[in-house]
Amino acid sequence: MLNPSFYFNTPWVLLLLPLALLPLVLNRAHNQRYSWVAMLPKDRLSDLIGIVLKTLSVLALASIIIGMAGPHSQQQQIERIGVGAQIAMVLDRSASMDDPFSGGDASNGKVGETKSVAASRLITQFINSRQNDMFGMITFSNSAMYVLPLTENKVAILAAVQATAGNALFQTNIGSGLTSGAGLFDKVPDSGSRALILLSDGGGRIDADTQQKIREWLDRLHIGLYWIVLRQPGGLSIFDTTYVPPEDSALPPQIELNEFFKTLNSPFHAYEADDPKSLAAAIADINQKEKKPIRYHEQIAGKNFTQLFYLLAALMVGFLLLVKYLEVRTWD
Amino acid sequence: MHNDIKEFSYHISWRSRGRHNGSHSSTQRGMGMEFRGHTTLLSYPDPRRIDIRQTIRDPLEQVYVRIFNQKSATPVFVMADLSGSMGFGKQSKIELASQIANSIAMSATHNGDPFGFIGFDDVVREDWLCTSSFRPHQALELSKKLSKFIPESVGSKGLQDANRYLPRERSLIFLISDFHMPLNELEDALALMMQHYIVPIVLWNSSEYKSLPEFGITSVTDSETGEQRTLFLRKELRASIIASFEARRAAIEALFMRYDMPPFFVEDTFDADALTEYFHQFVAA
Repeated sequence: MLNPSFYFNTPWVLLLLPLALLPLVLNRAHNQRYSWVAMLPKDRLSDLIGIVLKTLSVLALASIIIGMAGPHSQQQQIERIGVGAQIAMVLDRSASMDDPFSGGDASNGKVGETKSVAASRLITQFINSRQNDMFGMITFSNSAMYVLPLTENKVAILAAVQATAGNALFQTNIGSGLTSGAGLFDKVPDSGSRALILLSDGGGRIDADTQQKIREWLDRLHIGLYWIVLRQPGGLSIFDTTYVPPEDSALPPQIELNEFFKTLNSPFHAYEADDPKSLAAAIADINQKEKKPIRYHEQIAGKNFTQLFYLLAALMVGFLLLVKYLEVRTWD
Repeated sequence: MHNDIKEFSYHISWRSRGRHNGSHSSTQRGMGMEFRGHTTLLSYPDPRRIDIRQTIRDPLEQVYVRIFNQKSATPVFVMADLSGSMGFGKQSKIELASQIANSIAMSATHNGDPFGFIGFDDVVREDWLCTSSFRPHQALELSKKLSKFIPESVGSKGLQDANRYLPRERSLIFLISDFHMPLNELEDALALMMQHYIVPIVLWNSSEYKSLPEFGITSVTDSETGEQRTLFLRKELRASIIASFEARRAAIEALFMRYDMPPFFVEDTFDADALTEYFHQFVAA
């Protein structure tokens, strides 16, 4: 795992490395003078200790200097294979998301949780149940808001999802959200399983240019689209094929949008949820479908070796201090 | 004068050829006590010495005089090693050498002998030279200076040249050194000084080998060559150091005995009486 090559924060400090050879040049401060060293018999243990002490002092200095230079290894990418998908969440943040669900427990005299809170709660669960996914997030109201690129960092995603549970804003501009969501996949290596989950409470009209753009991008980037519609209480179902619009008026936006999505070349699936339970069921279904083996890269942060070198130096200096304690002071 | 300096008594085993009056038996005819023979008054015209008994006994009626040998002085020299190793010890060997030199100078003066001092390290040191003199003051002053001398990191090769500074006359030489030098160098130097009588005084310091620290790590620097070693002092190493010094002592003794000059070992303190004893033991009167 260890990258054999070191990198240094302040490489110029390494210029001081020759200083580590000082112990070889300078005498020890407490050198004893002896009348005739040749008279002392050869002692291998003493010679060994002499060499070890010199080496230790050189190494201690060297590791202090290397430690000062701030050694670290480069961050690495490791390819791993796991089960999961690259999923872009496109969440509606329009004002209507703050309304309670149609299936709220009004019978208990309680107002049901708002759509946005339920959505963020269930998505949080969803994210927690997935292992190796990459998630990205776009929210939209009047226009798309870029929240998070595709990432493996679960903490960031969960934080982003929590943030969407707050107060909502303005109108619904699905087209902008979708193009931004598709844009997340651009320049990201294809893992083989890509999905865009669009969560909205109703439709919006998309002009022909944007329609063309969405069709093209989803096709080119191999993105499957899942659309979860949070239905208004007593609202119109997108699956209601019997609905006939009043004369002189166009189809309601959500039905029109569903029709458009059906014409996409890429896979498409629509869900309709009118209470948290059905929303959970829809998400569980997506969870089931998006389980293909994918390849992904894991980032491994570079390791900082500064402490290690300082620790080594401290150990060696400690040993030298021990020797100092054993040193003979009363000679003559 | 210099009452604190302890003296020893010494004598020499040969006849001095010195003309100067002294206390050693001599080959010089003169006002001595040692009867040498008779000769005629004509060849030794000293009427004070006329031997009447011998004159009467001679049938040829010649007048005889007695001839006596006088007592003569013999030059005494101290040759002191000033090499780096002599600086070793709490009370350095140099300091001890200065004490010994003082004692020798005073003894020689009171014995009526001229005293000279030669200091050498890698060369014979001209500044540590004191020519032979019957008055010891210069030598004592030099010796006083010597007691505070701190030698440099030099060897003792000057011993080879020291014979040039000695008189032709057979002299008594006290060679003061620790003899921390290669034995063949020492032998070469001794061979050059065979015409003199040498008393080797071997100065060793007990902290060099006997009273080493019990246990510990230290690094030592040679005081002459600057060679460095790390020592891990412990029981075995101390024992082998002591054994190495004992072997050295035996080697030095063997070398000197080959030249018939028994070494006089001084360790830490100088005892003048021991030197007296030395002369009684080894030098035939």
